[in-house]
Amino acid sequence: MSSTAASIVLDSVSKRYGSRTILHDLSFSVGRGEIVGFLGPNGAGKTTTMRMLAGFTAATTGRVMVAGHDMATDNVEAARHIGYLPERPPLYDPLDVTAYLRFVARIKGVRRTAMAAELERVVSACHLEAVVRHEIYKLSKGYRQRLGLAQALLGAPDVLLLDEPTAGLDPGQILETREVIRAFGRDHAVLLSTHILAEVTLICQRVAIIDHGRLLAIDSPAGLQRAVAQTNRVALRVAAPAEGLRDALLSVKGVSAVDVQPAAGAPALLDVDCQVDAGDGVEAEIARAVAARWDLHRLERQQPTLENIFLRYVATPVDPDAR
Amino acid sequence: MSGVLAVYQKELSTYFRSPIAYYVVAVFLLGTGYFFLYNIVLAGETTMAGTFQNMGVLLVTLAPLVSMRLFSAEYTAGTAELLLTLPLSPWQIVLAKYLGALTILLLVCLGTLVDLVPLYFFGTPETTTILAGYVGFVLLGMACLAIGELFSIVTENQIVAALITAAVLLGFWFVGHLESFQRSDGLRGLVVYLSFARHFTDFIQGLVRTEAVVFYLVVAGIALALSAGYLHWRR
Repeated sequence: MSSTAASIVLDSVSKRYGSRTILHDLSFSVGRGEIVGFLGPNGAGKTTTMRMLAGFTAATTGRVMVAGHDMATDNVEAARHIGYLPERPPLYDPLDVTAYLRFVARIKGVRRTAMAAELERVVSACHLEAVVRHEIYKLSKGYRQRLGLAQALLGAPDVLLLDEPTAGLDPGQILETREVIRAFGRDHAVLLSTHILAEVTLICQRVAIIDHGRLLAIDSPAGLQRAVAQTNRVALRVAAPAEGLRDALLSVKGVSAVDVQPAAGAPALLDVDCQVDAGDGVEAEIARAVAARWDLHRLERQQPTLENIFLRYVATPVDPDAR
Repeated sequence: MSGVLAVYQKELSTYFRSPIAYYVVAVFLLGTGYFFLYNIVLAGETTMAGTFQNMGVLLVTLAPLVSMRLFSAEYTAGTAELLLTLPLSPWQIVLAKYLGALTILLLVCLGTLVDLVPLYFFGTPETTTILAGYVGFVLLGMACLAIGELFSIVTENQIVAALITAAVLLGFWFVGHLESFQRSDGLRGLVVYLSFARHFTDFIQGLVRTEAVVFYLVVAGIALALSAGYLHWRR
C-alpha cells in the first residue's frame, strides 16, 4: 500500500512515557477500502497506537498521518475524518441514547437538516432501535458496545479505528457487527484491534502483528500462513523404536527437527512431530521412509492456523539490546 | 462554535441528571437564606453587605463541588477518550465546560434574588450597591470555577480535585490576613492584592474598581489558559 494513497500512515513512530518506551519505530499504512486487523498480546502497544491515531496522545518521534492530516499539528481537522471506538465505550451514562448520539453528531459537524437521517442510519446499522429512548446507564453490555460503535460511525468518517469492537457481544451480535464493519470497510479505511483471531481471518484484508511495541509482521492472513509454512510441521503416530525412528526421519531431505514422545494411552506407539521445510512432497517422503520399516498409524501435515502464526510471532524473544 | 454549544449543553444535561447540582444549589440557597435572615432580622443590618460576605465564603467552599467533576468525571468514565478525540480544540473544550459550570453559578445568583424581595418591601436599599455586590459575586465565582476546572483537569479523582481546589481557594480568600505579618511593603501589597476577600469587599461596599474586575478576570484567564495548555501538553 503506497503511503500517498493511504488513509492511515505511521512512519517510524515511537512513543515514550518517561524512560519507558511503549512503541518502537512503528511503520505501516492502511489504505482506503481496506480493513486491517491489529493483533498482539495485552500490553503490546495496540491501544497506544490506536490512541495516537485517534489524536488522544501524540507520538514522541515519527509521523502519524490520518486522512492526509499530520496528527502532530492538525489533529483537530483530522478528527473530522476519524471514527474512534476505544476499548471501553466512551458513554455518558446520564444521557439517553438519542441525546448522546446527537451530541457526538453535532460536534462531528452533522448538519441539523441531516441529523435525523444520520441518527437513523447508525441506529439501524448497530441495531439500537429498541433502546433509542433509554438512558445509557440502563443499557446491557452488548448495547453499550454497539452504541460505542454507532457514535464512531457518525458522520461517515474516512477512517474507522475500532479497539475490540465485538467485546461483550453475543454470537448473533458479533456476526451483525462484523457485517457492519465489512460494509463500512468497502470504501473506508478500518483498523481493527481484536483478540479474536477468527475475526481477523473473516473480515480483514491484512493483519498487523505487534508485540513489545514492535511491528513483527504485516501481511494478508494467507500471506502470513505462507510465510510461516516455511517451517511447517508433520505429525506422525508410529510403532517403532525411538532412536531408529529419529535417525530415519532426520535422514529424509526437508526434515529439520524431530521430536519423539510416547503416545498418550498407547504405550507401544510414538507420537512424532517433525519440523519440515516448505514445499510439497516432504510428507510423502516421510511416509515412505517410515512405512518401509515400521507400522505407520497416522500422518498429518499441519497447516499453520492464525493462532499458531500469532503465537509463533509473539513467542519469539525480542532482543533487549535492540530497544 | 457548534461544538462548544454541544459540549455546553451536554454539561448542563449531565449536571442536572446528577445530584451534585441540586445539592450545591440547595445548600447555597439555604445558607444564603439563613445568613440573610440572621443579618437583616436578628442583627438589624439594613444592607446586603453582611449577606454578600457570607455568600462569598459559601461560594469559595461550594465552588469545588461544582468544578470537581468537570474533567475528573470524564477521566473515570472513559469519556475523555471521546471528548479529546472529537474535532474540538483544547480551548473549546475548556471554555464549554467552564460556561456550563458558570451557568450553575448564575442560577444560584438568580435564586438569591428572592432574598431581595423583603429587603425592598420593608426598606429602601441602594440598588447600585446591591448590583455591585452581585457583579463581585459573579467575578469571584468565575475565578473560583476556573481554578477548580484546572485542578479537575490534572487529577482523575473528583474528591482530590475538590479538596485541592478548596485548599487553594481558601488560601486566596484568607491570604490577606497575612498582611500584618509582612515587614516588606512589597509583600504586604502582594498578599493584599492576591486576596479574594479584599477585592470582594470593594464590590460589597458598592465599589466596582477596574483593578478588582481585572484581577478576577486575569485569575480566571490564567487558570483557563493553564487548563487548555495542560490538555494540549498531556497529548
